Amino acid sequence: MNVASPAAASSADGSIYDLGYRHYEGKRHGGWFAIWSLFTEGLRSVWGFGRPMTAKGWPFALAGIYAFPAFLQLALSSVFAQSMSEGNKIELIAYRDYFGMMWLLAMVFCIAQGPELVCRDQRSHVLSLYFTRPLNHAGYAFARVAALATALFITLMVPMIALFIGDVLMKPDTLRAIGDELPRLLPAVPANAVIALGMASISLGLAAFSPRRAYSTIGLVAYFLLMEAVPAFIYAAGQHAGWTWAALTSLLTPITTLTGAGDWFFGAPLSADFPSTMSADQYVAAALTSIAVFAGLLLLRYRSLSA
Amino acid sequence: MALIETANLTKDYGTVKALDRLDLQVDPGIIGLVGANGAGKSTLIKILLGLVPATSGRASVLGMDVASDTENIRKVVGYMPEHDCLPLDVGATEFVTHMARISGLPRTAARERTAEVLRHVGLYEERYRQIGGYSTGMKQRVKLAQALAHDPKLLLLDEPTNGLDPTGRDEMLDLIKRTGTDFGISVVVASHLLGEIEQVCDFLLAVDAGHLLRAAPVSDFTRRTPTLAVEVEEGAEKLAAVLTGKGIGVRQDGNCVLVALEGTAPYDAVRDAIAELALPLVRIEQERHRLEDLFRDAAPARGAR
Repeated sequence: MNVASPAAASSADGSIYDLGYRHYEGKRHGGWFAIWSLFTEGLRSVWGFGRPMTAKGWPFALAGIYAFPAFLQLALSSVFAQSMSEGNKIELIAYRDYFGMMWLLAMVFCIAQGPELVCRDQRSHVLSLYFTRPLNHAGYAFARVAALATALFITLMVPMIALFIGDVLMKPDTLRAIGDELPRLLPAVPANAVIALGMASISLGLAAFSPRRAYSTIGLVAYFLLMEAVPAFIYAAGQHAGWTWAALTSLLTPITTLTGAGDWFFGAPLSADFPSTMSADQYVAAALTSIAVFAGLLLLRYRSLSA
Repeated sequence: MALIETANLTKDYGTVKALDRLDLQVDPGIIGLVGANGAGKSTLIKILLGLVPATSGRASVLGMDVASDTENIRKVVGYMPEHDCLPLDVGATEFVTHMARISGLPRTAARERTAEVLRHVGLYEERYRQIGGYSTGMKQRVKLAQALAHDPKLLLLDEPTNGLDPTGRDEMLDLIKRTGTDFGISVVVASHLLGEIEQVCDFLLAVDAGHLLRAAPVSDFTRRTPTLAVEVEEGAEKLAAVLTGKGIGVRQDGNCVLVALEGTAPYDAVRDAIAELALPLVRIEQERHRLEDLFRDAAPARGAR
């Protein structure tokens, strides 16, 4: 490989002309464009696009399993649609219950893909290149959280759409069915957005603390399990001991908090799964606090990495 | 417009003063930034890129202040770090395109520039393969390509020949030279290898312990000295004695006699003395400065401080 002369370069390239070096005179965007570029790259790499086939396995499998019950219902609805009469509606799964039922898959999605997104950049030291571009540590953190949250949001919304289509198909008057169903689907959009943002911020806020993917994954598993088990234990103990404050510990549980916050958008009182003393408002406040705390952690981490 | 300007630039890391009231004014060209490890080269580069704030003083790049105009500086500066910085599981084309977009180029422009730049650094068919499978030399080329992708006006290279074999080193130096001369991009090469600096740079900044030791064209450092080196196979002592007897200042260094040059008189004296003593002469040559001398002379000064 010889790069000594332009002539050698062009002959190795197989082209006749060597145009020489040409300067770029076009437009140069600034910081927001850099964030957008990083966001799109992040979204692609969460799904494993532009990378080997093996990188696509986990995200697609997890998102697929997450959506499976909804598609099952969709399939059933098309089978039963003919025999359904007006008002005789089978609703196996409601929009608002879906995450509460399938959260484990969403959690594994975060545990698997969160470290993928932030550890790779630290491990390969590509961060030192990013931070010398029109991109600062806050922009980087923002783009990464946005990418994972969007990927998760897509995962959460696919079954919602499937349920929607299924419910519409089951009714004879499609147009009227859409009019009936749409208001019931709409709260799922902000609800899943909050859940996605909450889980993405936890996942990245913790994963970013190690460049080693394995450690990040273990840390995330430990965090989710501990935060699930410890408050549940305190709550159970509190019910015997008569601690009135024990129900508040459920605000520490990420999944419970986010499910409760999501429920807020559907309006009606919380389901019986939650401690009776808690309100949806409290979960919304806890979810927003959690997002702020983990976003802050992430910013702190990247500020120290950028220096 | 000055390429780089600093005034009273100080960076204090608490225990260590990495830069100590550094004053610089550098014009466009290929600039060598030399100094031992820890002399403050990397700190200076980091301040110019806006990665770390200066403790006091100010610095500007292409007329833009590093503290207040960081984003605009970064749009027109390319940086190649010393250490590994490449993701291993993507191809060079994809990676360089991505970096060009992060630098602010629209998608189509980023693709075109990537293809051109990879050709310029000498990566052809292998550019679609994963970077993990590249040799060190190819990785260095990708690092240079990502720094060139957005057509910067200034390229900051931190130890660009690190880890390269002699052939790879020469090719990299040649690329740097071409970048500076053919592409018309100013280059700052930080290195502790004086030989490399001598080979490619036309201006030199020597820093030591956070101070500017010297800033001058490389030719100034390597110009002739007022010393004549006379090498003989034997009898250097006798030659030195004869010359001293004629009132000429000499210094003996092994088989070499170094004669102070004042006018043309010493030439005749040397010729006559050698003929008289019938010494086996090897060479007579006017000595040149070497970059190494710069640091050899500076060393005692540092110890004294």
